[in-house]
Amino acid sequence: MHAPSGEGAPWPARESSPTPFEHFFREHYAAVVRLAASVVGDSHAAQDVAQEVFLAAHRRFGGRPDAAAGWVRVASVHTALNMVRGQRRRHRRHLLVGAAPHAPSPEEAVIDREAHAEVRRALAALPTRSATVLVLRYGGESYHDIAVAIGVDVGQVGTMLRRAESALCKEMERAPRT
Amino acid sequence: MRHAPDGTLRRLEDEPLAVPDAVADHVAGCRRCGERRRRLDADTAMASRLASGPRLVPDIDAAWERLRRAIDGRPEDAPAGSPPVAVVVPGRTRRVVRWSWRTGVLAGAGALVLAGAGTAAALSNVFAPDRVAPVAVTPGDLGTVAQLMDVDGGHVPGGFPTPDGSRTVPFGTITWSSTSAARTYDSAAAASAAAGIPVRLASHLPPGVGAPTGFLVQPRVSATVTFGAGAGDLAGRSVVLGVGPGVLAEYGATDQGAGLPTLGVLTMARPTASSADTTLARIEAFLLSRPDVPPQLAEEVRLLGDLRTVLPVPTPTGTEARSVSVGGDQGVLVADASGAASGVIWEDRGGLLHVVAGIVDAQEVLGVADQIG
Repeated sequence: MHAPSGEGAPWPARESSPTPFEHFFREHYAAVVRLAASVVGDSHAAQDVAQEVFLAAHRRFGGRPDAAAGWVRVASVHTALNMVRGQRRRHRRHLLVGAAPHAPSPEEAVIDREAHAEVRRALAALPTRSATVLVLRYGGESYHDIAVAIGVDVGQVGTMLRRAESALCKEMERAPRT
Repeated sequence: MRHAPDGTLRRLEDEPLAVPDAVADHVAGCRRCGERRRRLDADTAMASRLASGPRLVPDIDAAWERLRRAIDGRPEDAPAGSPPVAVVVPGRTRRVVRWSWRTGVLAGAGALVLAGAGTAAALSNVFAPDRVAPVAVTPGDLGTVAQLMDVDGGHVPGGFPTPDGSRTVPFGTITWSSTSAARTYDSAAAASAAAGIPVRLASHLPPGVGAPTGFLVQPRVSATVTFGAGAGDLAGRSVVLGVGPGVLAEYGATDQGAGLPTLGVLTMARPTASSADTTLARIEAFLLSRPDVPPQLAEEVRLLGDLRTVLPVPTPTGTEARSVSVGGDQGVLVADASGAASGVIWEDRGGLLHVVAGIVDAQEVLGVADQIG
């Protein structure tokens, strides 16, 4: 773990034990970036989203971020959806340039990219609530964590997810393929 | 055993251990549930493309340094052309208010009190709205109205108790009366006959909304407000408010495990007010000048214009309200900012007020309303 130190460092050397917020950031940053990436499809944009979400979380929760795990996830998805909806008419950016655990063949990469871009386009057309449930679930969140994050009973998550998947498929069938 | 609802079938795919064994055993041996599960799998396979992208491994140290700079007020230089990212903060969790006659009467009576009474003609209808309009309110505003009307607390859950007797309120007395007690019926036809008003229901419901669980009939409730000595020029004058009769159809969920009503459809005669000895302008001026009426709420009501024909629709802070057309009639759509819940209210040309609301999005609630309107 790198911490800047010495003369000219932008801030004092970090103390041996991280602050509660830094601990929170390190625990949840990767998950928040991945959720944003699944919506925007661009690693740099996803990290921009995560940066602003954690900055907002710092202002909002300060030194007591324990209860913010669900909040930063939902904020990440909402912000990413907002970004995509705003960009959709201006330009397309479908290249996902983050590190991958394996290197697919060029043909596989093209197919994956197109399939992923198509589902992201459909996702952006859904109501925010539905899109959020989908992104959280396919981002690996449990039903319990989704329920906590969006403030519903855990018994409702399956129904919401089912409806969101159905709506997503209809949207993908309805719109022209990208 | 009952067939498993869609939500449970869906969870069976992801978290089978969270589904009771009895339900899982039923699904395993049930042909109908099996077919539904296969259809569900097709959608799931399509949606799973969401998880198909490369798994990012971000540089957390670099990200933390970047955030530290921003927290310290020394943000990096943004690349040329890089648009700012505006964080969309999740909406605060809002509980969906269980529809009840207390809620309806509170809103209706509050609107009536705020709207006041009208012309000086003897015992004429001074408030008979033929259109609806949104009024932004806060929970505090509703509490103020509840206190003014003395209808807050201690009532029967899920239904308004048959109001009776007189109560002292800050500006005088309110005498409640009704023809009979509220009662729940098993069918829309029986409820319609009991209430004496036609009840129309939607034949196509949004996904997740189950069958009606009951039809609550509330007979007409009247309240005579007599202004007391503290009401200045209005002392000794009175206005008669009327709400109902009405029928509330309450719908359950297809997922029985959810345990919550998903949709409510209210049909009721429009509220009215009449007076023999006072005017709308005088009541409005008195009520809106009271120190316990929040200035912002008073301003919202004043902006409505002619209160004799407008029913104010309370729209809580954080919701979005917009004008819509339902069957050619003007209505107000109120939607939770998160999209979790929404409702629409309109008055038809026959003088019936309709409300459709629940845990559905705006398009779905309008879809139900269009079948009724």
